[in-house]
Amino acid sequence: MTQAASFQADADTNSLSDAVAGSTDRARIACPSCDLLFDVTDLPDGATANCSRCGNFLTTNKSDAFERVTSACIAALVMLAVACAFPFMQFSRAGLENTMTLPQTVMELWNNNMPWLAIIVASFILIIPAVVTICMLVLSITLTRNHSPSWLRQLGSTVFHLQNWSMVEVFFVGVLVSLVKIAKMATIVLGTSFWAYAAFTVLFTLAVTNLDKFQSWQKIEALAAE
Amino acid sequence: MSNARTAASQDLSSCHICLKLVNSELHHCPRCGSAMHKRKSDSLQRTLALLVTSTILYIPANILPIMYTDQLSNSAGSTIMGGVVLLIKLGSIPIAAIIFIASVLVPSAKLMMMYYLCWTVARGNLGSERQRTVLYRVTEFIGKWSMIDVFVVAILVALVHLSGILVFRPGVAALAFAGVVIVTMIAAESFDPRLMWDNLEEETEDE
Ligand SMILES: [Zn+2]
Ligand SMILES: [Zn+2]
Repeated sequence: MTQAASFQADADTNSLSDAVAGSTDRARIACPSCDLLFDVTDLPDGATANCSRCGNFLTTNKSDAFERVTSACIAALVMLAVACAFPFMQFSRAGLENTMTLPQTVMELWNNNMPWLAIIVASFILIIPAVVTICMLVLSITLTRNHSPSWLRQLGSTVFHLQNWSMVEVFFVGVLVSLVKIAKMATIVLGTSFWAYAAFTVLFTLAVTNLDKFQSWQKIEALAAE
Repeated sequence: MSNARTAASQDLSSCHICLKLVNSELHHCPRCGSAMHKRKSDSLQRTLALLVTSTILYIPANILPIMYTDQLSNSAGSTIMGGVVLLIKLGSIPIAAIIFIASVLVPSAKLMMMYYLCWTVARGNLGSERQRTVLYRVTEFIGKWSMIDVFVVAILVALVHLSGILVFRPGVAALAFAGVVIVTMIAAESFDPRLMWDNLEEETEDE
């Protein structure tokens, strides 16, 4: 997903003093890691800006980003619903078998007197990813349609704060590890839900990488000012 | 490097929720409404307190059983390291390596790296700023991957419950370990990497 066009964000004193003078109409960003100022107003479509001092990612400018986020989120929600409704894996040994669904990973922890662990696991693999996907969907649709409802700011803060706490991809690696762990003990059959959660992991990651924090907030602010 | 201009040198603060540059005197971000600080407040003290908490949690996470295996009438608890040793004995070297890296190496390395970063900032920023920023971003990135072992326990407990033949039950260490991961993630969030560059600004301003 690296962009062909690379953009060297301008950090020299002259262009910055210009940026400071016309502070409202220039798009400026301070590097979140080292605080250096950059003017990213003229970032070309499809380009990515990185900090010239510490190398940290700053922002990326894709004109169709919000549409991409919308379609990825819709597909992701469908996949998540499928993942919750169907069997995830089946375990059979000596004529006996167990079928596991995604909500059961949480319920069984609860039944084993570990309510806190159940809540933590449920949050990281189902609740936070679902909430973030729904919020990203509403945010991208609202921004594509150039609407500016009063709750848009709150929605933006929620999305960008909760994103770091989703662990879909980590859970998926956990699934693969457990498969190998018990493969020798019994026969494992992968269910519909397994593939749906795999697709959800990909679509969710796609939506998160396409929703740029800086560009989203620039747009939220521009719409509020109208 | 000498003509580098930071937001702080222009009396601007970058909002950590929406990246908006606002006048340092403001207390709330005009764009997203969150509380404003030039640097995250009490970053070093808060990070250190959280690091100590997760170091303490790290002890029960490693010495108590993370999962119990009930086979016929036997019940055996296994610790994280015990699980790794068992996997090596079973010949699953790659999986043993994944569990060892995710559950043993990553959390301890992350704790040590965070202590090191706090120490360098407290001592007036020793070493290369760029390298330490990379180190910080590594700790931020690897943090959640330590949850793998907790998820493995959750999956095995849900999947395998053949009463009287083979049952997996979760151990207390799973909760302690989830605690370590969460608290170190909050510690990484409360650490302000810009503190590492601030002395550099003061030095160049003095010249
Ligand atoms: Zn930087
Ligand atoms: Zn803000």
